[in-house]
Amino acid sequence: MSNILERMQKDLYAGKVAEVEAATRQALDQGLGAQEILNKGLIGGMEVVGRDFKAGDLFIPEVLMCAKAMHSGLEVLRPLLAEAGAASMGKIVIGTVAGDLHDIGKNLVSMMLQGAGFEIIDLGADVKPERFVQAVRDESPDMIGMSAMLTTTMPSMKSTITALKEAGIRDKVKVIIGGAPVTSKFAQDIGADSYAPDAGAAVDTVRTLLA
Amino acid sequence: MTSKTLKPYLKYLSDVQIEEIHEGSLRLLENTGVMVDHQEGLKFLEKHGAKVDHQTKRVRIPRQLVSQALATVPDRFTLAARNPEKDCPLVPGGRPYSRNGGGADFTIDLETGEFRPLLQADVKEYYRLMDALDGISFIAPVFGQDMPVLGRDILMLREAFGNTDKNIHLRAFTGESLKLMFEMAALVAGSKKELKARPIVSLLEAPISPLKFLDVIVDALWLCGEYGIPLDVCVMPIAGGTGPMTMAGNVQLFNTEFLAGVVISQLAHPGAPLQYAARPMAMDMRTGFSLAGSVELGIMATAGAQMAHFYHVPVSLHGPWSDSMTHDGQSVLERMYMNLMAALAGANVLVGAGMMQQSLVISHEQLVIDDEINRIAFRVVEGFEVDEERLAAEVIDRVGPGGNFVADMHTYKFLRSERYETDLLYRNSRVAWEEGGATTLLDRAKDKARTILKEHQPNPLPEDLSKELDKFVSKALKSLEK
Ligand code: B12
Repeated sequence: MSNILERMQKDLYAGKVAEVEAATRQALDQGLGAQEILNKGLIGGMEVVGRDFKAGDLFIPEVLMCAKAMHSGLEVLRPLLAEAGAASMGKIVIGTVAGDLHDIGKNLVSMMLQGAGFEIIDLGADVKPERFVQAVRDESPDMIGMSAMLTTTMPSMKSTITALKEAGIRDKVKVIIGGAPVTSKFAQDIGADSYAPDAGAAVDTVRTLLA
Repeated sequence: MTSKTLKPYLKYLSDVQIEEIHEGSLRLLENTGVMVDHQEGLKFLEKHGAKVDHQTKRVRIPRQLVSQALATVPDRFTLAARNPEKDCPLVPGGRPYSRNGGGADFTIDLETGEFRPLLQADVKEYYRLMDALDGISFIAPVFGQDMPVLGRDILMLREAFGNTDKNIHLRAFTGESLKLMFEMAALVAGSKKELKARPIVSLLEAPISPLKFLDVIVDALWLCGEYGIPLDVCVMPIAGGTGPMTMAGNVQLFNTEFLAGVVISQLAHPGAPLQYAARPMAMDMRTGFSLAGSVELGIMATAGAQMAHFYHVPVSLHGPWSDSMTHDGQSVLERMYMNLMAALAGANVLVGAGMMQQSLVISHEQLVIDDEINRIAFRVVEGFEVDEERLAAEVIDRVGPGGNFVADMHTYKFLRSERYETDLLYRNSRVAWEEGGATTLLDRAKDKARTILKEHQPNPLPEDLSKELDKFVSKALKSLEK
């Protein structure tokens, strides 16, 4: 790997936002291609971050800072990346389900997914099934993510999936669910595609599902 | 002369630091303010001199309003019980009381060890078990997942009234059901007036950290004021998530939130009974989960207790609290230090007994173990009497070098008053232990729970009242469906 990409990865790991942006410009000046800088420098850097996060060596706020650094480079590359969407690994509509105001977990999952390069459309909390359906129509996401922290609001996840089916768009998106009382068995029972117990696992699962 | 030992106090903040935090909160309330998502609440606060931006719902509260509110907030009140012997008077420097952690709707089955949803039948048993445990002074809700969603809180209260005569700590799912539950409590108390004089229920509500008051909490603050129901103003920023990472910053934030709650309550209902429920949490930086057993929680909560003492309001802290998934050593050790820190911080209420796994799960055997942990904490802060007779110089002289005290009259006299006795902790020989089935703490806790469930009969409601309550509940459930 070229020197500049190696340094970019190191700076990215250290969460140095300005440095990563500068290194991205410098790499372009040196004649490296945007796609190569993205794959080898930025995404490659985030892979190391992800590995160390999983090993327990990096903490969530550090990962988020790394992601910020990654995005500073990405913004430089975005206009140069050939096909639209090449800079995004996928689009995800996310929200906490109807009747439920617990949004801390959902926000964390959003931030971590964003950090991993996914485009996030956050519908907030207390999101009714119709709003998920509308967002799928309007945004054509690859996936929707639903969060619930109350056993009394978990049924709304099922209602949302039913609503997607009734609208004839269930097969257009993958569905992932999460939240403390949610289990993978519940995900299976209601016909979601997947479940993840925490934000780190959510990133892995989403990557696999959208690969 | 007989005198009691000092109440042992755990402290972190100096008087100067307490003043700094107070001043910091006043400034935050004046400059940053809080968001109040309640039309009437905004108008009300504006009328009292707060600066209100109706568009952003931001309320900036001048310091005079805070002083005015603090001047009327009571320094003591009683969580009354249907059976007055089980009253919990919360007084400055008084003994601590305790309750279970509220809101669980999963359990670990006492017989099969299986993790499963709680059902209405379990709920009755849990109330009956807690009714029998002295280390659980009043009782918070547990919910059955087979109970209808609408009105589940009301049904919970009905089950509680039937299975315990202790104070019942409520959790409301909607403003409507809260009002209905207060009416139900008035029915049991005799009248709204009698309920106010002896509030046999209490409530918890939490602002959303940072600095956000939803309509439900404003409604609850006012309704509690109207009915004279003691309210835990539960401030619970998650350090590093919904609150600053630093302990000082988290204390600064929750203190500010508490004061805003005091203002909303006291300006509308001067003298309304409030507890400073300092329940800071901490975000685990590897998973994002909000931790229960992280030691910094105890440290921050202790600072919260100091702020509560500074404001002369009763204080409620997390006590037996743990992140463990099961009844293991981690569970016991976390609960023990959390509870001792809270008790030594001067908490009036120790919260958490029986609760496991991010407050989703309640367990019979954990309740029994936490009952013990609570009673040990009560003992720790009780201290001991110091007087001539108890100092026993005369007895020491009488027994003399090399003698023993076992058969002395002095020992005989104080035998039963000086010691905390336990029926859960093992203190016998190995032989006896092996003959008794080589039981562990957990085995004995399960046995004790089984025995209580088999034998304990709660103090029933008078039959006519019981029928009246049933009628009230079915009417209430119908009214909610509309
Ligand atoms: C903070 C909190 C609140 C705050 C919420 C603030 C906010 N902005 O979200 C406030 C005070 C508003 C609140 C209110 C209530 N709460 Co609350 N609350 C909690 C608490 C303490 C922490 C929740 C939290 O944020 N954890 C931290 C986050 C990061 O964890 P997490 O959400 O689990 O998320 C992680 C994973 O689950 C996963 N994940 C989450 N979402 C998703 C989504 C996807 C797609 C994926 C893949 C993964 C994923 O990844 C996340 C990060 O690793 C919990 C108890 C606890 N210790 O967990 C109770 C708790 C959830 N609340 C509870 C209750 C009962 C209520 C109330 C009904 C109480 C009341 N009326 O008095 C109200 C309900 C309001 C409503 N309508 O929603 C109960 C739920 C019981 C149950 N089994 O149903 C709990 C368990 C506490 C209890 N025992 O009472 N609460």
